[in-house]
Amino acid sequence: MNFLAPLALAFAATIPVVILFYLLKRKRVVRLVSSTLLWEKFLAETQASAPFQKLRRNWLLLLQIILLALVVLALARPFFAGEVKGGRLLVVILDGSASMQSRDVAPSRFDAARDGALELVDSLDRTDRMAVLLAAGNTEVKQSPTSNKPALRRALRGCEPAESRGQMLDALRLAQSLTRELSNAEIHLYSDGALTGLDEFENEGLNLVYHRIGEGAENRGIVAMDVRSHPEDPDQQAVFGTLINASTNTAQARVELRFDDQLVESRVVSFGPRESVSQVFSVRQATDGVFALRLTDDDALALDNEAWAPALRPEPARVLLVTLGNRFLERALLSAPRVQLATAPTFEAAAGDFDVTVLDGIAPLAWPAGNVLAIRVASTNWLEIQGELEAPPIVDWKNTHPLLRFVSFDNVAIGSAIAARPSPWAAPLVESPGNPLILAGEMGPDRFVWLAFDTTQSTWPLRVSFPIFMANAIEWLNPAARRAERFQLAAGDPLRVALPDGLREARIKAPDGTEAVLTVEEGSQEVVFGGADQRGTYTVTVGTNEFFYCANLLDAHESDIQPQAELVLGRYARTEATEQRLANLELWRWLAAAGLAVLLFEWWWYHKRTA
Amino acid sequence: MPEALLSPQLLRRLEQFELLAMRRARSSLKGERRSRARGLSVEFADHRNYVAGDDLRYLDWNLFGRLDRLFLKLYEEERELPVRVFLDASESMTFGEPRKFDFAIRVAAAVGYVALCGFDRVAVSVFPERPEELPVRAALRSVRGRQTALGFFNNLSRLTAGGPADLNAALRRGALEARQAGMAVVLSDFLDPAGYEAGLRALLGRGFQVTAIHILAPEELAPTNFGDLRLVDAETGGMQEVTFGRYRLAAYQQTVRNYCQRLREFCTVRGINYFLASSGTSIEELLLRQLREAEVWG
Repeated sequence: MNFLAPLALAFAATIPVVILFYLLKRKRVVRLVSSTLLWEKFLAETQASAPFQKLRRNWLLLLQIILLALVVLALARPFFAGEVKGGRLLVVILDGSASMQSRDVAPSRFDAARDGALELVDSLDRTDRMAVLLAAGNTEVKQSPTSNKPALRRALRGCEPAESRGQMLDALRLAQSLTRELSNAEIHLYSDGALTGLDEFENEGLNLVYHRIGEGAENRGIVAMDVRSHPEDPDQQAVFGTLINASTNTAQARVELRFDDQLVESRVVSFGPRESVSQVFSVRQATDGVFALRLTDDDALALDNEAWAPALRPEPARVLLVTLGNRFLERALLSAPRVQLATAPTFEAAAGDFDVTVLDGIAPLAWPAGNVLAIRVASTNWLEIQGELEAPPIVDWKNTHPLLRFVSFDNVAIGSAIAARPSPWAAPLVESPGNPLILAGEMGPDRFVWLAFDTTQSTWPLRVSFPIFMANAIEWLNPAARRAERFQLAAGDPLRVALPDGLREARIKAPDGTEAVLTVEEGSQEVVFGGADQRGTYTVTVGTNEFFYCANLLDAHESDIQPQAELVLGRYARTEATEQRLANLELWRWLAAAGLAVLLFEWWWYHKRTA
Repeated sequence: MPEALLSPQLLRRLEQFELLAMRRARSSLKGERRSRARGLSVEFADHRNYVAGDDLRYLDWNLFGRLDRLFLKLYEEERELPVRVFLDASESMTFGEPRKFDFAIRVAAAVGYVALCGFDRVAVSVFPERPEELPVRAALRSVRGRQTALGFFNNLSRLTAGGPADLNAALRRGALEARQAGMAVVLSDFLDPAGYEAGLRALLGRGFQVTAIHILAPEELAPTNFGDLRLVDAETGGMQEVTFGRYRLAAYQQTVRNYCQRLREFCTVRGINYFLASSGTSIEELLLRQLREAEVWG
């Protein structure tokens, strides 16, 4: 037999102390009495003059010593050497996404999750190991597998939630790799279930325990914000905002629009249960600046009550149309807002700088720099031309893409089109069976749009969707609009700043006022700032220029704080939220300590009775 | 002074009592007790035939007139009742508040006063011996007549207590010394390691009508000294270590009750009147109620 805590045997020193208490000659007060006869009779059974005589047949003392010896043995944790089954591996994943900062559970969901994980630590057996992962903007391994409880507690207390959406997929994959091929492994996920991307995760027999955190869904949030030129009035900017009500009750909220912290408009929005509402504000903008949308009412999650969007003063796009003559196209381009159109029969014949080049079936000798809309241009290295398609039917189009906003291809017939296999970085927007008809993509800083068919050989120019598509295309290809898009990012994403030639340094001021100076690396024209975890406006100073980058949450999944009863993993697997799991707390130490206390109390009580 | 021992009111009450002897008085001296001896008194007992030489003053002339025969009237001769008070004056009797010895002296005075009022002979045996008190104790050895009561009280109040006593020896000696048996009143705390049985048996064997008055101090009935104590016996000097708390008070009182009960049973089966008195209680309760109810006097 061995001992896990042999030092506890030192407590055996208390046994002689108990005996000593029994032998101890007490200091007695001398009293003269008439006769000791009655006292002798009274004490005949209990009192003896010699100390060792007193110890004789003292069952109480014997019992006390046996009890004390047992307690000391228990504290020393004796064990027999033998084969023991290996302990469990528990992987704790704390959801550190923005929705976990909801205050429907006091003090917050994240604190409740952390408390649950700490209770799990308390329940660990000595052979169990645990790892701690924090799934915030990134997945961090806060503690690699260990059975060291203080280290686990320290790691859990060091976890903080982020203001961004959570990357739960990475965390689950990491947990899966940690527990792979372990039969007695468990993954404990502390989350409210507001997670994205789990449909990509294939649950391969994972022992996943989902601890659902959160109670209510009293939240209104801003889930989308965009600033673009007003489609009806080119002199104005339209600020779009999408707001949702996560609650199952109807609600009202006051929403404010500010420009550079000046109140522009305030209005009250009514929501149905779990409804999203879009709002459009029309604003005349004189300078570059930052629009801010703000929900002024208090709710469970404060992070989604404000969003920012940088906006540059609208400038006309300079467009070169290279065509042999296409009136439909020309008129469509002219009808687009803020366009300065120039036409030329060849690209080489055009003079000056252009933001967008439209090639109407004419291939240039040298490919134009900048953004290009190419219509039936075959000689390009973007594509692999495979032949010609006759009257290809239109079977699908992606109307979620900004290019196809308000665009429909119903009743559009095409005479012929180039059959091409697109490069992987080009996204097909309109498709006939097995062949893309419109492609869009980005390569480096440039964007391009490619049409496989001649618009004049189709019924499209006769449809209302044609000028709308052209307006969308010019807006999407306009570098100014693209710059504005680059100034908007999700909190937690890296902030990239392209530097002009000759400048090596950028100064970044975070929303909380802290500043960082970044120096560009050799051979690069871009600095990357990885600390954009806070929501708000980052002011970037490069040379004498100043830009605004806005980091937002803008995530419908995070704003919908309704705790999910189950997680859907992959196509088939579902994990239901577990009820509170009873932990196997080790109690024997407490019991043994209580035994010791009772023993001491018994001794004290016994002697109090005689005093 | 008698006032110091017994109040005038109590004395007046006591004067109304007389000792009720269960046995006929045996003293050879005339007194106010009826005895078996026929003799001269006012209480008529019987007639007998006249024989020559009888005192003619006792002839019943009325009977002679009717029957023409001479009869002699016989009267019950009234004799005295010897009352012997055994007073424990050992060191243990000096304890208590009020002292047990003072209580015992007052009881002795009361018993003596009732006896003196009844023209009985009172003898007070004080033990243990103390040579310096020999004259006082000698004066208490035989007292008779009501007129001696004042001196009797004075002598009692001059008694002191001290030293170890042997109860059995004292009672045995008292039983032997008495020429006639009578009433014996034992005033003691009966806390003698050697016991009390032999002494009481000796008195009974001599023919005494015995009354045992067991006097204990309040402190002995319910001690108020708590803690780790070393108790020293005042008489023997023996020591006893004891750890005593309030939680054990009831057990101690049970021990005392058991001790008294054994003494009571010993007395009851032998026809001895037994009374337990705390020196802290009123003496009137003992004298006017308990002794009267037990028909020691009435």
